Amino acid sequence: MRILTLGVPKVVSGVFLFLIVSLYLHAQPGGYYTPAETVRIINDLAKKNPDVTRVVTLATTPGKNPVILLEIGKETGRQTRTLPALLVVGNPEGDVPIATSAALYLAGSVLKDPARYEHLTWYIIPALNPDAEAFFTGTPKYRDQRNAQPHNDDMDDLTDEDGCNDLDGNGIITMMRVKDPEGQWIAIKDDPRIMRKANPSKGEKGVYKLYTEGIDDDGDGKYNEDGPGGTNVGINFPHLFKPFTASGGRWPGSAPESFALLKFAAGHPEIAMSMVYGSSDFCLVPPKKGRKGSVDMNKIKVPENMAGMIGADPDKTYSMKELIKMVQPMAPPGFEIDESVIASFLGLGAVVNPLDEDLKFYKELSEQYKKYLKDKGMEAERLDPAAAKDGSVELWAYYHLGLPSFSMDFWTLPKPKKEKKESGGLTIDQLEKMSKEDFLALDEEKIAAFLKENGAPAQFKAANVINMIKSGQVSPKQMASMMKQMPKKEKEEGEADPKTKALIAFSDSNLNGNGYLPWKPFKHPTLGEVEIGGAVPYADNTPPPGMVDSLLKIQVPWIFTLADKLPSLSLLDTKVTPKGGGVYALELWVENKGYLPYPTAMGKRDKHPGPVVVTIDGNNLTFLEGRKRTPVQTVAGLKAVKLSWLIQSEKPGTLNISLTSPSAGSDRKQIKIGG
Amino acid sequence: MKRYYILTAFLLFFVVVSTGMAQDSKVTVPLRFDHYYPYEQVVAALKALNKAYPSLTHLNLVGHSEENRQIWAITINNPKTGKESDKPGVYVDGNIHGNEIQASEVCLYFVNYLLTNYGKNDKITKLVDKNAYYVIPTVNVDGRYHFFHDANTPSTNRGLRRPKDDDHDGLVNEDFPDDLDGDGNICIMRKRDPNGKYKTDPEDARLMIRVKPGEKGEWTILGQEGIDNDGDGRINEDAEGYVDPNRNWGYNWAPPYVQSGAGDYPFSGLGIKAIAKFILDRPNIIMVWAFHNNGGMILRGPSTKAEGKLNTSDISVYDYLGKNGEKIVPGYRYLISWKDLYSTYGDFTDFTDNIVGAYSLVGELFRTADETYSKPGKTSGGDDEIFGGSSNERSRERLKFNDHLAMGELYKPWTPFHHPVYGDIEIGGWVKMSSRLPHPFMLEDLVHRNASAVIFSAEQTPEIKMEVTGKKKTGKNLYQIRIRLTNSKAMPSMTYHSVKKKAYPMDMLKVLGTQVKVVAGGKLVNEYTGQTNYKKYKPEVQFVQVPGFGKTDYQFLVEGKGTVTILFESRKAGKKTVTFKL
Repeated sequence: MRILTLGVPKVVSGVFLFLIVSLYLHAQPGGYYTPAETVRIINDLAKKNPDVTRVVTLATTPGKNPVILLEIGKETGRQTRTLPALLVVGNPEGDVPIATSAALYLAGSVLKDPARYEHLTWYIIPALNPDAEAFFTGTPKYRDQRNAQPHNDDMDDLTDEDGCNDLDGNGIITMMRVKDPEGQWIAIKDDPRIMRKANPSKGEKGVYKLYTEGIDDDGDGKYNEDGPGGTNVGINFPHLFKPFTASGGRWPGSAPESFALLKFAAGHPEIAMSMVYGSSDFCLVPPKKGRKGSVDMNKIKVPENMAGMIGADPDKTYSMKELIKMVQPMAPPGFEIDESVIASFLGLGAVVNPLDEDLKFYKELSEQYKKYLKDKGMEAERLDPAAAKDGSVELWAYYHLGLPSFSMDFWTLPKPKKEKKESGGLTIDQLEKMSKEDFLALDEEKIAAFLKENGAPAQFKAANVINMIKSGQVSPKQMASMMKQMPKKEKEEGEADPKTKALIAFSDSNLNGNGYLPWKPFKHPTLGEVEIGGAVPYADNTPPPGMVDSLLKIQVPWIFTLADKLPSLSLLDTKVTPKGGGVYALELWVENKGYLPYPTAMGKRDKHPGPVVVTIDGNNLTFLEGRKRTPVQTVAGLKAVKLSWLIQSEKPGTLNISLTSPSAGSDRKQIKIGG
Repeated sequence: MKRYYILTAFLLFFVVVSTGMAQDSKVTVPLRFDHYYPYEQVVAALKALNKAYPSLTHLNLVGHSEENRQIWAITINNPKTGKESDKPGVYVDGNIHGNEIQASEVCLYFVNYLLTNYGKNDKITKLVDKNAYYVIPTVNVDGRYHFFHDANTPSTNRGLRRPKDDDHDGLVNEDFPDDLDGDGNICIMRKRDPNGKYKTDPEDARLMIRVKPGEKGEWTILGQEGIDNDGDGRINEDAEGYVDPNRNWGYNWAPPYVQSGAGDYPFSGLGIKAIAKFILDRPNIIMVWAFHNNGGMILRGPSTKAEGKLNTSDISVYDYLGKNGEKIVPGYRYLISWKDLYSTYGDFTDFTDNIVGAYSLVGELFRTADETYSKPGKTSGGDDEIFGGSSNERSRERLKFNDHLAMGELYKPWTPFHHPVYGDIEIGGWVKMSSRLPHPFMLEDLVHRNASAVIFSAEQTPEIKMEVTGKKKTGKNLYQIRIRLTNSKAMPSMTYHSVKKKAYPMDMLKVLGTQVKVVAGGKLVNEYTGQTNYKKYKPEVQFVQVPGFGKTDYQFLVEGKGTVTILFESRKAGKKTVTFKL
C-alpha cells in the first residue's frame, strides 16, 4: 500500500498492508489507494458479508484494470428487484483520489449498519476510471484523466510518443519556465513564484514560456503533446457530449468503462438516485442554469417548410401542447404523438438546463446540507467546487436517466484570508441570509463597495438598490441570487489567479511548501536554461491523508439523509361508495411519503423511470370506468394522487389492490365491496 | 416539389398501413432477382456466392442480433492485386429497418454482379481489382426475419427487437397488431357507419373518399387490424421495440425524449455495436452506401441543421456522386437529409461520415409513382406520394396496376369479419408486400440501377499515382527532389472533413534511406518559382491529402547518397512507393 505523503510515496510491506486493510474493514479510512488495493478492499468487504454483497466486474479498462461494482442489499443477485437502489460512482475522471476513498468509506459504513440496506440496494463503483487513477500512486506522480487507450493526440506519424518526463528526478511532473523572446508569461510582483499572462495593453511584456516538465521526445518541436492515454472516462457520457475533443472519446460510451455504466444503468430501472464522487458538488451547489440553446417549450417556432404541412404559422410560436394537438390528427390511427415525436420532428434538440421544478429540491437540499455541515463544524470557506462538465456522469444521470443526481467533491483548497475590504467583507452569502432591516442598516458606501467588488453593472447604484429593498421590490435573498447569476468580476490587474494563490497559501501553511515547488534551474537538452517548479499535481484537489478521515466522516453520511428523501409510494386510503345495483365507486389515493417527487420533472420528460401501476384484482369485476391496470405518471413529493373507478360486481367480494413501481416501492391492500 | 418531400418525410416518420411470401427457391449462383430473399435465404445466398468465388470473397460473422440471429458480411477482395487494407474500401449495407427488405436484394445483386462479371466485363474486372468491398445485405436480421414470417403492414417491424415500453404503461410490447383473418397481412379495419367520415369512392368501390360537409357518411376507419391485447382500451399501441437501429449510432446521438427510437444509449443495439466494430476495424473504408425504402432519394448528410454545412470541397464530391446517381436511377432525387427530409440524431451515415471519414449516402429505394397504369408521360398524381395512397387519383391508378400488372397480389379486397369489440367490420387494403416494395417483376430493374449507382461511386474512390517530377543536384551531396501525387478520381485521399476535424492522422509522404538526411521538405506551392512551405520539424515526414481530380507536389532537399525510397501511405487510398538513386 502506498500512503500519500505529498512528494514521495512510501511503500509498505505486505503484512502492514493486511493490518491496514483490517483496520479499514472496521471503517477506518486511511488515505488513498491504488486501483489494485481498491479491488482488494472491495473483495474483502464482500467476503466478510457474503449474504448481502456481490462484486461484479463491469468492464476491463484498456490498461487491463477491472472496473468493479459492489452491490449491497437484501436482494443481491436476484433477478427481480423490489427495493429502490442508489448508484454511487467514484472518481469517473480518475484524478480525484479522495473520491475513491469516499466510495470505499461508504461501502464500509453501509455494511456496518444493516439498517442502511434494509430498504435500499447499493450499487457502488469505487473507481470508474482506474487507469487514470493509477497515475496518482505511480511514479513519477502526474495528473491525467485519460484511460490507457492509445491515442494519437497530435495526429502525427506516432502514437503516445511524447509524454512528460521527470527531468529533475523528484518523482513529480511539474512545470518548466523558460525565458523566451516570445514568452507571454511574467512572474507577479508580490510572489515571483506565481506566473500570470502579461497584459500588453498595460505596457507589459512577457518574459517566460511555460511548458509541462519534459523533453521533445519525437523531435517535432512540441513538448509533451502526445503522452500515453486516450479517453477521459468522466466526460464520455451522452449528455452534451462533444465529438472531436482532445480527450472526450470518439462518441459517448466509446470507452469500455463508460459503455459498461450506460449498459448497467439501462438494465437496472430500480436505480432511484445517483451520487457521483468527483469534482462537482450538486449537494452544495445546485446544477447550473443559463446555458444557451435550450428551446423554450412554450415558445416553439415551426420552420417554414414544416409549418404549411401541419397548418402552423411560421412567424408565430406555439406551446408543445398546441403542437401535439395540431399534429395528432395527421398521424395514422394508433400512433400517439407525444413531446418526443414533436421534438424530434422539429429538431428541437435536448434539454440543457435543469428544470425549475427540480431546481427547487436541489436548492432546498443544498440549504439543508450547508446547515448540516455547519452543525458538524465544517464552516471554513473553501474554493468553489468545479462545475459539472459536459459529458459527465452526473449530467447524464439527471438529463437522461431522469434521476435526482447528486455529486460531491469533498475538498477544495481553503479560501485564502482576504485583505480588509471597503465593504467590510460583506459577501453574497451573507446578503442572502440578511433580513430587510439588516440590509437597510448597512451604510450606503459599504453597499456601493460591495456592489463594485462583486461586479454589479455600473447602473446598479447603491441608492437604487436600497430603494428597491426598502420598497419590498426585491428581498436581500432575491438580490443575492441575482448577484450570483452575474458574471464573476475579472481579477484585478497584477493579481495572481485565486486558485494558485490559494494553493500557495495552503502549500506554505499545511504542506511544508510541497504543494507548489520553488523554481529550480535545470539544463534542458533543447530549451537550454530552464527552471522547473510550480504546482504539484493533485495538491489542489487532494488533501493530505491525515485530513481524509475527518472529511469523509462528515460528508459521506449525507448520502443517508438524501436516501431518506427518496420517493416512497404507498396506497394511502380507499373509499368505496355503493351506487346500487352492484355498482361501486372506488376512490384510491397513492401517496408519496418521500420528499422527492416520483419521478423528477426531467424524469417525466424523459419517461425514463417507468410509471407507477395500480392494479385491481377481484372475481367477476366489470370496469365501467377506469381500467384494471392504471399507470400513474407522477406523484409529487409528500403529496397524494387520487384515482377513481366505477366497478360493477354482482356479488360482494374482495378487491386486491396492488401498487408497483420500478424504483419507488410497492404496496398491497385488500378491501371489501358489498356485503 | 418541396412539399412532396416533406410529405414523404412524414410518411417515413410515422408508421403506416398490409403480406405475401417469397417463393421457397433454392439459392444458386448466379442469384436470381425475381423474388425476395427471406433472412435464411440471404445467408444461404452469401454462402453460395462465397462458395462459387472462394478466391475473391470471404465471409465474416459480424455479430449477433437481439434474438441471436447471425449478421453476415461478405468481403470482395482480389488478393492478387493487394491486401484489403491497402485498397480503398467500399461498404454497402441495407435493411437496417426490418421492413425495408429490397435493400438486401440491392446488396446481393451488387455482390452477384461484381463476381459474375469479373473477368468478363473489363470495367467490373478493374473495379474488383481496385477496391475492397464490404457488404452486409441485412443489418436488421431480426426485423427481416419477422417481416417475412409474421403478419405485418408494409411499415411494421422496422425496429430492433429490444423490449421497449412504447406507451409508458409499465408493460413492454404487450399490444401488437393482430392478423385477425390469418392471411399474413396486417390490413385496415373499417366499419359501416352512417356517421362515418368516409364514403365509397364511386370510381373504385375498394377506395374510400372523405365525405364533404353535409354529405352522408358510410364508413369509419378503425385503424390497423388488431384487438386490444392488454385490455387498456387502446388497440395495437405497443408493438415490437421501438428502438430504431438507424438512431442508435454514436455520432450526434440524442436520447429518446429528443427523438423516439434512439435506444437507451448509443450502440445499445447488439448488432449495431458489432457492425460499428466491423467498420472501425476496416479504416480503409472511404465510401458507404446504406439502402432503405422508400421515396426514390439519394440522401447525403448532415442529418441535423445544428451540425452546420459540410465542407464545400466534400459537397462537390457528394454532388458528383449524387447528381450522377439521379441519372442512373431515373426519378430519384439527390437530397440533403435534414433539410429535405427531417432531422435525425445518431444515424448510421452521420457516423460513417464523421467518425469513419467515408463519403456516405443513403439510397431510399422505390417510388409508388412507378406503379403506373397510363400512357407514357401521363402518370396520375406524379410525385404526389402520400402514405396509404390517400390521393385518390393515384390510389385508383395503383389499384389498376394491382389488377392488371400484379394480378391482384398487392391489395386485399374488403372482407367481412366479426371483431370482438367492434362487431361486424371489414378488413382490407394494401398488403404487406405492397406500397414500399416493387413488385418482383420490377425488382431486377430497381436492383440493377441502384447497384449501378454504387458502382459509379466505387469507380470514384481515390486512384493515386506517384511520380518523381524533379531530381537535381543543388549543392555538394545535396539534391532537390520533387514528388507529384496525382489522383484521377473524384474522391480525395481523405475527406476534407476528416482533415479539418483531425479525425485521424493525415496521409503521409515519407522519405526513407539509410544514407540520406532530409534537410528540408514541404509542400511545393509554385512549381515554377519553387516556392515551398517547408515543414520546420521532421521534414522527412509530410502530412498530405491528395485532392480529387487533382494533384499535389512536394519538394525535398536531401543530403547524402545511395538509394532513396519515397513512400506514400494513406489510410484509404493505399500505399505507393518510388525508389531511385541519388
